[in-house]
Amino acid sequence: MDTRLANTWRLTVNEKRFIETALSSGIRIDGRNPFEYRKLSIKFGREDGSSEVQLGQTHIMGFVTGQLVQPYRDRPNEGTLSIFTEFSPMADPSFETGRPSESAVELGRIVDRGLRESRAVDTESLCVLAGKLVWAIRIDLHILDNGGNLVDAANIAALASLLTFRRPECSLGGEDDLEVIVHPPEEREPLPLIIHHLPIAVTFGFFSSESLLVIDPTHHEEAVMVGKMTATLNANGDVCAIQKPGGEGVLQSVIMQCLRLASRMASDITKKIKDAVETYNTERALRKIKRHPTSITLDGSVNLKEKLNEPSGHNVVNELSRKHLEKPRLASAENASSPGNNGEGESKSSNFGRSSRRDGATSNFVGGAASW
Amino acid sequence: MEAKPSTANLVDKIVVPGDVVLDLSSMTNQTIKLGGGLRQECDSVSVIKAGKLRFSKPNKYWVESSQKRYVPCVEDTVLGIVVDCKADNFFVDIRGPTIAFLPVLAFEGGTRRNIPKFEIGSLLYVRVVKANPGMNPELSCTDASGKAAEFGLLKDGYMFETSTGLSRMLLSSPTCPVLEELGKQLSFEIAVGLNGRVWVNAESPSTVVLVSNAIMNSESLSAVQQKIMVDKLLQRIK
Repeated sequence: MDTRLANTWRLTVNEKRFIETALSSGIRIDGRNPFEYRKLSIKFGREDGSSEVQLGQTHIMGFVTGQLVQPYRDRPNEGTLSIFTEFSPMADPSFETGRPSESAVELGRIVDRGLRESRAVDTESLCVLAGKLVWAIRIDLHILDNGGNLVDAANIAALASLLTFRRPECSLGGEDDLEVIVHPPEEREPLPLIIHHLPIAVTFGFFSSESLLVIDPTHHEEAVMVGKMTATLNANGDVCAIQKPGGEGVLQSVIMQCLRLASRMASDITKKIKDAVETYNTERALRKIKRHPTSITLDGSVNLKEKLNEPSGHNVVNELSRKHLEKPRLASAENASSPGNNGEGESKSSNFGRSSRRDGATSNFVGGAASW
Repeated sequence: MEAKPSTANLVDKIVVPGDVVLDLSSMTNQTIKLGGGLRQECDSVSVIKAGKLRFSKPNKYWVESSQKRYVPCVEDTVLGIVVDCKADNFFVDIRGPTIAFLPVLAFEGGTRRNIPKFEIGSLLYVRVVKANPGMNPELSCTDASGKAAEFGLLKDGYMFETSTGLSRMLLSSPTCPVLEELGKQLSFEIAVGLNGRVWVNAESPSTVVLVSNAIMNSESLSAVQQKIMVDKLLQRIK
């Protein structure tokens, strides 16, 4: 009991009074404006569907995985989406392993409501065999560091992972087309989820004085504030969800002001998420370019072919092919094709058949002389 | 276990647990004060915590290392938060492994009749009197001779937590560059606890916020970088 007493974080009377007096002159303890977000950084892991979000001191990781399951009886054509949160004890001395606390359940519920009720993720496209097999998408959110405002950061982590998640492609085969074949990623390029819009959660903190309002409260501000509200909106200005768990009563005009602010924040954050996902996708495409060693071919010519899954136009492809051709890691000196080569060379693939979306070719084995 | 011939070799050098730094058999008639991280075993003094060995004239030795945890040590001045009030003691949290006790009478002119009343969550500037491993440390709001000497309740202002290394840097003399630069332009009051807690107070909230952020950012900067950082911060305000 003594160690627990010693290890809890405490708020001093001085801090409480200071935070409130400073706010009444519009100053926050980390120097921000009352309506300013902390620095947001979104990073992705090697695997598709893993993201790491840092909002100031708050640090959250999101993972998305998919599994084929039987659908619910009342929705035989739709896939399912479920959210799991883990409040790691290393994030905060008050988090404990075992049963999730009330705030953990609330966080999961807010993120879930924003995605599910607003139909952000298209669940009908997750259906493989109506009534028998659908994709169940599972989002895991791990809280690594609690610097305040976990809801917003967790939401961003969930969205970022959903945008970069790829599920394996399935096709029906066998007799009667009733057998489902799941193609491994080497065979067929995995597909991204269809996401209609991005619901962004924006959290507000209310203080004891009427007009004091902050966006994105830090850990200390959360301990001092008397009420909070989370509004989930998307960049189009649609309100997806609002959550106000108890706390002090708030005027209707303040709520409307919050919603207006939130829609501005939402478009900023949507842009940041989209930019980060864009960078990730380009990197991923670069990684997918196969490089063959020189000794493979029979007629002494080695060819290159890019595998790209991006629907981004030919410009990107040509750009990448040129960059690739200039890379020093090319197999042999002869491979440094002339800059005029637009990367139209064909390749000799060893095992699996590949289809390049660009030219629509579906033949398994393409060989031939490269155009130098 | 061989004793090192001369201790001057190890002062200001990094030592690890197990190193013997002093051979007492060769220093008779001297009183040596050992600070944190050192332990006396019969005739030799050995290190129990990794860090840099420091020596201050005439006779103080200690090991300095920076971390977020604080290990209570006698004669340290720390900032504590009142957790509970009992009949004999106040329970004060000094960020150590256990709660510390502050006897109700450990104030200047303290008698049973004028026991101070602290509300839960008050910030106190106190001195560690007893700190044995495994036991709750004991504190006092007076200095060794019984005078108040600025110990006691800290009113208003703002407190933040840092690592122990930063608080030692802030207390070093000559004055650390961050405080010197800030002091040239702003006027503020500051209390630094060796347990990593720092209290800042000033006339306007913006000054307090500026000073706290400047100190928190200066942890890993060299002296010159600290000056530059403070200049930039001050210019942004003007």
